Amino acid sequence: MVPTLLIVSSALFSLGVYGVLTRRNAIALLLSIELILNAASLNFAVFSRLYGQAQGQAFALFVIALAACEAAVGLAIIIALYRTAKTVLADQVTLLRG
Amino acid sequence: MNHAAASAPMLFLIPGLPLLSFLILILFGRWLGKLSAWLSVAALASAFCLTMSLAGRVTHGDPVGIRWAWLSAVNPRWTIGFFVDGLSWLMLFIITSIGTMIQLYSIGYMHDDPRFSRFFAYLSLFCASMLGLVMADHFVLLYACWELVGLCSFLLIGFWFEKPSAVAASRKAFLTTRFGDCGLLGGIMLLAWATGQLGFANLPAIRADLVAQHKEGLLTLISTLIFFGSVGKSAQFPLHVWLPDAMEGPTPVSALIHAATMVAAGVYLVARTFVLFTPQSLAIVLAIGLITHIFAGTVALTMTDIKKVLAYSTISQLGLMMTALGLGSPAIAMFHLTTHAFFKALLFLGAGSVIHATHQQELSHLGGLIDSMLITGITFLIASMSMSGVFPLSGFWSKDAILLEAQYRAPVVFACLLFGAVMTSSYIFRLYLRCFHGRASHDAAHAHESPPIMAGPLVVLAVGAVLVGLLGSPFVHHWFFHLVGSEETHEGLDLGMLAISTGVASLGVWLAWDIGMRRRNYVPAPLRPAATAIYRVVANKYYIDELYQAVLIRPFLATTRWLSKFDSVVVDGMVNGAGAGGWQLSQWKAAFDRAVVDRVVNGLAECVRAVGSAGRRLQTGLVHHYLLAVTVAVVAIAVWLR
Repeated sequence: MVPTLLIVSSALFSLGVYGVLTRRNAIALLLSIELILNAASLNFAVFSRLYGQAQGQAFALFVIALAACEAAVGLAIIIALYRTAKTVLADQVTLLRG
Repeated sequence: MNHAAASAPMLFLIPGLPLLSFLILILFGRWLGKLSAWLSVAALASAFCLTMSLAGRVTHGDPVGIRWAWLSAVNPRWTIGFFVDGLSWLMLFIITSIGTMIQLYSIGYMHDDPRFSRFFAYLSLFCASMLGLVMADHFVLLYACWELVGLCSFLLIGFWFEKPSAVAASRKAFLTTRFGDCGLLGGIMLLAWATGQLGFANLPAIRADLVAQHKEGLLTLISTLIFFGSVGKSAQFPLHVWLPDAMEGPTPVSALIHAATMVAAGVYLVARTFVLFTPQSLAIVLAIGLITHIFAGTVALTMTDIKKVLAYSTISQLGLMMTALGLGSPAIAMFHLTTHAFFKALLFLGAGSVIHATHQQELSHLGGLIDSMLITGITFLIASMSMSGVFPLSGFWSKDAILLEAQYRAPVVFACLLFGAVMTSSYIFRLYLRCFHGRASHDAAHAHESPPIMAGPLVVLAVGAVLVGLLGSPFVHHWFFHLVGSEETHEGLDLGMLAISTGVASLGVWLAWDIGMRRRNYVPAPLRPAATAIYRVVANKYYIDELYQAVLIRPFLATTRWLSKFDSVVVDGMVNGAGAGGWQLSQWKAAFDRAVVDRVVNGLAECVRAVGSAGRRLQTGLVHHYLLAVTVAVVAIAVWLR
C-alpha cells in the first residue's frame, strides 16, 4: 500500500514540476504549484500512516492552509500583473529583464 | 672732554626746531606761502638764542651733554647723545648766526621762485642735520647727520631741476662726497672692529690703548680713512671736482652750504677726532691741504664766472685749514674756519646780490657796479680785505696764526703759504675790481641796489667779518683758543709777521690791479706761447674733470652697460630657459598621462562593463527560466546531499 502511494505522490510532483516549467498561462502555473504542494502533503500523510504517528497528518493540514494563503497572494499578484502588462501569459512579460 | 656734565634736555631743541620747521614746510608749505620763510627763520633764530643761552656755561669750561640708551638690547651700556663743548658750541654759533642771515637774504633772493616754501623746507632740514652733526658725541650719530647733510646738498644744488646742468651737478656732488664717505665709514668700522668703542668721550683712551699695544699703524689707517671722508666733504684734491659744479644751485645755497657750513664739516671732523691722528696721518693731511690750497688758488686766478672764482677760493681756503690741521693745530684751523665762514658767506651773498641785480655771472659782462650798488660793493670790499689778511680785520688774525705756526714748524710750508697768500689776495681783488670798478658793461648799466632784506644780512656779516677775528687776538688774550680748549703758543702780536703778511697782501692787490685791470703783460715775448699754453691748462682746471671722465667714468659706464647686457642675455636667458624647460616637462607628463594612465583606468572600467554585460544575459525577465534554474538547483542539491 505505502509504496504505491509514494509513487502516486512522486507522479503528482513530477506532473506539477512539468506544468510549472511548461505552462504559459500564469494561473496554470499556480495550479501546477498547487499540484506540487498537494503531492508533498500526500507524501507527509503516507509516511504518517507508515510510522503510526500523527505529526505527518498535522503537517499536511498546515500545508493545505499554507497553499491556500499562497494561492491568494499569487492570484493577487497575477491580477496586479494583468493590470500592468495587459496579459497573463508568462512568456510575454519581460518587465524585469536586465 | 669731561662727560660728567649736567644734561640739558633743551639740547634737543637746537636741531629739533629746524627739523620741526622742515616737517611743517614740506607738508603744508604750499598753503603757507611766503609765511614759510618766516617759520624757517624763526626756528633757526630760536636755535641761535638757545645757543647763546648756553654760552655762559660752555665758555667757562662747563660742557653740556645729554645721553640716552641706544641699542640697549645689544648692549645695555651703550649710549648715544649730544655734547656741547667749546668746539661744538663754536660750530653751533657759526651755523645759527650765519644761517639766519642767509635765510633772511633768501627771502629776497628767492622771492619769485614758484617753489619758495620747499626751498626753506630744505634749508631747515639742512640746518637741523648740520646742528645735529656738530653736537653728536658718537660716530654713528655723526655719520647719520653727515649723510643727511649730503642729501640736503643734493636737494639744494639740484633745486632748479629743470636745468639739466643743475641735475648733473647735484648728482656729481652726491656721488663724489659719497665716495669720500666710504672712507669715513671704513674708518668707523675699523675703529669699531679694533676697539669696540665709537663714542667721542673715549677717543683719548682709545689712542692710549692702541699706542700701548704698538698699533700705531692701525691708528694711522683709521685716522687717514676718517680724513678721506673729510676730503670728499671739504672738497680737497682729488675729490674737489664737485664744488665748482655745485655753483649751479641758488647763491644762498652756495653761501650756506658750500662756503660756511657743510664744507667746514670736514675740518670739524678732523678737529673733533684729532686725538686719533698720528704724525704720519697728519703728514697726509698737510700734504693734501697744501696741494689743494695752491692748486685751487691758481685756478681761481683764471676763472671768469664770479661764483666759480669763489668756489675755487673756498677749496683753496679749506686747503689752508687742512694745512693748519696738518701742522698739528686744530684750534688755529677752527679759528680760520670761523673767520672764513663770515667773509666767504658775505662774498657769496654779495655775488648773489650782483647776480640778482644784473642777471649776469660772467666778469666780461660786469663792471663799474660800485656806483649803483654801494652797500654790496663796500661789504664785498670789506670781505675781500678780510680774506686777504689786512690788519686788523678777522682774516688777518686767523691767517697770521697759521703763518706763524708754519714758520715755526716747517719753513717750506711757510714759503708755500706765502705764495698762496699772494694768490688769494690777487684773485679776490681781481674779482672785486673787475666787478665793481672799471668800465661798466651794457648789462651792468641797469643795475640797482638790492632790497633791504638782502642788504641787511650783508651788513651784519660784514660786521662779523671785521670783528670776529678779534676774539683770537692778543687784545682779548686769545680768548678764542681757550674756548676750543687749547693754548695759543704765540702770545702777543708778532710785528715781523704783520709786516710780511701785509706786504704779501699788498703785492696781491697790486698784481690784481696791474694785471687784472690794466691788463699789463709782464711775460717776455719769447716765452709768451708757453705762458699762454700754461694759462690754458690752468683755466681748464688742469683738465682733471676730463681725466676723471676718461679714466673713471667712461670705463664704469661701459662696465654697467656690459653687465646690463649680461643680465638680459644670460640671466634672463637662464630664467626663461628654466621656464621653457618646465613647460616641456609638463607636456611630456601630459602625454604620458594620456597614453598610459588613462588607458589603464579606462581598461579597468571596460572589464567591469564587459563582465556586467555578460552577466546581464541571465536576467531574461521570463519566469520560466527562473523556475528552471530553481528546479535544476534543487535536483543538484538533492543529489549532492545524498
